[in-house]
Amino acid sequence: MFHKLIDRLLNSRIWALAVKEINQILRNKQLIFLLVFPPTIQLLVFGFALSPDVQFLKLGVVDYAQTQTSRELVSAMTENQIFVAQDHLFDEEELAKQVQLGQVTAGVVIPPDFDRQLQQGETSEIQVLIDGTDANTAGIANGYMTQIVQQFSHQLQANPRPMLIDPEVVFLYNAGLNTTWFFVPGVLGLVLTLTSSLVSSSAVVREKDAGTLEQLLMTPAEDWEILLAKIVPLFILMLGDVFLALTVAKLVFHIPFRGNMLVFTAVSAIYLFVGISVGILLATISKNQRQVVLTSFFINLPLIQTSGAIAPIESMPTFFRYLSLLNPLRHYVTIARGFLLKGVGIMELWQPILALIVFAIVLLTFSVKKFRSQLS
Amino acid sequence: MRIWSQCIKELAQFRRDRLTVALAFILPLLTLFIFGGAIRLESKDIPIAVQDFDNSPLSRSYIERLYSTNQLQPSIWDGLGTAQTAIDRGFAKAAVIIPPDFSRRIKSEQPITVQVLVDGTDVNNARVIRNSIQATTRFFLKTEGLADQPLINVHSRIWFNPGREETLYIVPGTCAVILWIYPSLLAAIAMVREKEQGTIVQVYASSLSAVELILGKGLAYLIIGLGIASVVILISILIFGLRFAGDPTPLLVGTPIFVGSATLFGLLIGTRVPNVTTAVQAVATTGFLTALLLSGFIYPLSNIPFPLSLISNIIPTRYFIPIIRDAFVRGTGWLGVWFGLIMLAFLSLLLFNAARRNLSRMQLPD
Repeated sequence: MFHKLIDRLLNSRIWALAVKEINQILRNKQLIFLLVFPPTIQLLVFGFALSPDVQFLKLGVVDYAQTQTSRELVSAMTENQIFVAQDHLFDEEELAKQVQLGQVTAGVVIPPDFDRQLQQGETSEIQVLIDGTDANTAGIANGYMTQIVQQFSHQLQANPRPMLIDPEVVFLYNAGLNTTWFFVPGVLGLVLTLTSSLVSSSAVVREKDAGTLEQLLMTPAEDWEILLAKIVPLFILMLGDVFLALTVAKLVFHIPFRGNMLVFTAVSAIYLFVGISVGILLATISKNQRQVVLTSFFINLPLIQTSGAIAPIESMPTFFRYLSLLNPLRHYVTIARGFLLKGVGIMELWQPILALIVFAIVLLTFSVKKFRSQLS
Repeated sequence: MRIWSQCIKELAQFRRDRLTVALAFILPLLTLFIFGGAIRLESKDIPIAVQDFDNSPLSRSYIERLYSTNQLQPSIWDGLGTAQTAIDRGFAKAAVIIPPDFSRRIKSEQPITVQVLVDGTDVNNARVIRNSIQATTRFFLKTEGLADQPLINVHSRIWFNPGREETLYIVPGTCAVILWIYPSLLAAIAMVREKEQGTIVQVYASSLSAVELILGKGLAYLIIGLGIASVVILISILIFGLRFAGDPTPLLVGTPIFVGSATLFGLLIGTRVPNVTTAVQAVATTGFLTALLLSGFIYPLSNIPFPLSLISNIIPTRYFIPIIRDAFVRGTGWLGVWFGLIMLAFLSLLLFNAARRNLSRMQLPD
């Protein structure tokens, strides 16, 4: 029974077609290169280069007081390496010039009567100025600065009243706030999208370019057989890419695989169908390979930028946040972060998983239909 | 002038190819809207879940205070399960758990710990949330008369961009990325097409030298690139509300040099690769990746770690982004950006030289 099934499979047309596709792919060095090289490089560069850390900001100090306390305040500011003190400056004008020229990112001015005011129990006011060109960094730096000064001020009280509410902040999933952990699952999705759409479109359009598609149509093979034989080997190769990317994520970036990896692989497999369908669609609407790579810009650019892979979805303006719901990559990135970092599963992620399944079915049906209508 | 006629021929060819014209003007605008509109780093209205086991007037006014900034807002969490499930399922980015004896202990002047769970997957916003909750807590204690008056007050001013509007940071950077990618993409396609179609043989046979060919093609795509630049910058001014903050002349000088370097980079790629497909991929991977990630476009340049930071030193976009940000945000002018301009000019010369040497060695595909 089982033997018969295998025999039938091996003798079937679809098997013959699939073997032809695999041979074609393996002989195509460019395709193999595309499957291995760009994904690895993209993962590495994205993972290492993107870092939202706020540290080593250059701090210009104008200390008019020049006392023990004022020096202690400055060293409290630079203690955590968030700020690094530059040479002590002479006056505010010099500080302003340094900020203008971008030589320091932040500046602090301590008034001459700093100590006297503190000793008399008066409130002393220090000036802080921050270069707001980088709005995000400026906001975080400002928050840190206020906190440091408040803490310092608290310690100065002769009879300190305890801080009555003490918010004890615990960072879930990523206690050390390791920055690469945010980007790597996102880039995993990005890499799978780019590679699967590119490889599948070039596999389809090449037959068109070379004119061999007509020859295939002359054979007794049904058009669904032609397409299935094209998709299955690509799908298997792309699964290899999933494992490649996960290996890099584990070995290089030490991403914790907290969820059920079997389920995650299955969801990734579903996502591959989305990428492959996009590729087939691209190949269907383009005449040749050049058009494919150019039109892919129009699709991939919005897909990546509204996915939350690079900048968090929650930060986007409302319009783009809703638009992103139509983006399959957005759902995959949410799922990847859920499985890899949060360690949650289907129970928590059923919504994006369901969305992904719907996208895969709709896109696959649509692209196959388009492809077939073009054949006839 | 042979260079000029080469340039005219190139422009005529460009105009005839509709896909390329669309690529040259629609794609940059699409990129501008998506990057400029969608990339934001700092979250507003972050959903947080609050579990109030105390449920007293004091705890309620504390919660109200947490929501009173534009940064935090109540999540749509239904209150079932623990607060962590809300974060697990992604409904909330943080949870604040107020213990049952909250108001009793505060009234008897005993400190109390409030648990704050923050989703650490998005590191940047995890920091924003922590700072925000700590700052609001201090402010709450102060206004309720539960803390000493601080001895030191911080009077902070944010310069150049007092409202900390992220468009002012993102949009000029986006312009720089666009002006790097598209001129180089177009130039690479133009160069490699001569090879693909075999017309390079005719060029070899003519008396046109390699330098003249590069200058002619480069000039044509510089003109197109400047066209793109004016459209993109004009749209940024009209739609994203950018305004010149000071002397615009450094930008006016810097843009042609930068677009020129992008064009030369494209020509260089064009001489090295065999066909258009590879050219597009080469520009997309090397050009796009470096302009996006190693240029200080999203996060500060100083955050790029060691071996990669060396590469970022030879990325022209890295020098142009401070120039365009200076023009639209800081407004310092020549004194602040002269070094970047010199580096841009220097890198353009390097690229020109590399393209020239490669062109003389360029072989036809067999």
